[in-house]
Amino acid sequence: MIWVWIALAPILGGLVYGGERVLRARMQRRLGPPFLQPFYDMFKLLDKRTLIVHAPHALLAVAHFFALWFSVAAIFLGWNLLYIVFLHLIAQMLLILAGYSVRSAYSHLGANRELLMLVAYEPILILVAVGLYLVSGSFEITGMIQKGNYLAQLPLLFAALLMIVPIKVKKSPFDVGEAHQEIVGGVEIEYSGVFYEFLYMSRFLEYLFIYSFVFIFGGESVWLGAVLVAGVFLLVNLVDNATARVRTPQMIKIIYMAAMPLAVLNLVWILL
Amino acid sequence: MKFFIPFRKKSPWILHYNAGSCNGCDIEILAALGPKFDLERFGVINTGNPKQSDIFLVTGPVTYRSRERLVELYSQIPEPKVVIAVGSCTTTGGVFRGMYNVEDGIDRYIPVDVYVPGCASTPQLIIDAIVKALDILEAKSKEIEKPFKLFGAIETIGNKLSRLNMAKKVELHEKN
Repeated sequence: MIWVWIALAPILGGLVYGGERVLRARMQRRLGPPFLQPFYDMFKLLDKRTLIVHAPHALLAVAHFFALWFSVAAIFLGWNLLYIVFLHLIAQMLLILAGYSVRSAYSHLGANRELLMLVAYEPILILVAVGLYLVSGSFEITGMIQKGNYLAQLPLLFAALLMIVPIKVKKSPFDVGEAHQEIVGGVEIEYSGVFYEFLYMSRFLEYLFIYSFVFIFGGESVWLGAVLVAGVFLLVNLVDNATARVRTPQMIKIIYMAAMPLAVLNLVWILL
Repeated sequence: MKFFIPFRKKSPWILHYNAGSCNGCDIEILAALGPKFDLERFGVINTGNPKQSDIFLVTGPVTYRSRERLVELYSQIPEPKVVIAVGSCTTTGGVFRGMYNVEDGIDRYIPVDVYVPGCASTPQLIIDAIVKALDILEAKSKEIEKPFKLFGAIETIGNKLSRLNMAKKVELHEKN
């Protein structure tokens, strides 16, 4: 049964993304695209002629997608959370390599920003894993979701996680990596057709990846987890519609000066 | 494949290029994309990247400086693609017709599928044009389309087609 869910993960993420586009449109009081719009885009991209810069560049996008899929699968299977964070790191490295492998200046800028985003959110993800370990006594997700009530003991860590969700799903104020108005998508600029589709689908998987971290905070109660995910989803979109983009150094400063102390403070509190 | 063709109509991504326009038509295009007229309900995204676009929205009479870029952008859009000329200047040259530093409309350089009149053309007209363009997009084949002028060559390297030299640069003595 779980293998079916793993196989359907990109489709599940696509539904989340489609729902999000409709939700954002409704927040701006407009009709918005159809709910299944991401799948229409995918089918259209399959039929387009594809321009390739060079073969490794195109293959790195495919590798990025499958590495990300593997880390999402590891979450579904309930593996070690720390291990999953590093698996996800491998996927991001492939994307950054793809960005640096072409001569386009925008692609390089995008890869630089992608690296800086990694610098910003990776410590928080590891601290989240450590915090969950300190409370539950296990790094395994299967062990974590058998204990309850993380929210009472790790409220500040949850707030820190909340601050990095917009970086991961590329939403304002932390959408520097994509930034369509200034660097035209960053690392994805040289992709087209089928290979762009892999990057488009990996965005769906990012949603599943980061929101499953939020879900784990619900603990043994599935309902609490679902409510947390829905609440964070709404909040992130609300903030996305209400704020402008910050610059990359500002983003790192905000994460290091606000989210990091919160996370560390919470860990110290747990340890004492 | 036949299965994919209906989906062309459902997710047209646009590339907007200003070939020396006065910004009037550009503002109207952005208004059409904005919350009031909401082009996104047709699945439109303003990608700003030729390699991921289907519809090429051009505004402005083609100034000499913008010729190279226009043809370069056109040749970087993968087929099937549709070109929409937005505004009087883009279709005929408009008030700039016959001036020493503009070409009269983009159809001297690239094949145009839909012409939109108006100075500036309204968001309603632009939405109409895009809906019209969707039918053309659906009927098109995946043949490589060539610009009329500044067309270099499509070479075969190995067994692959290369577009590297598809758009030629303007000769130095033609520049001003």
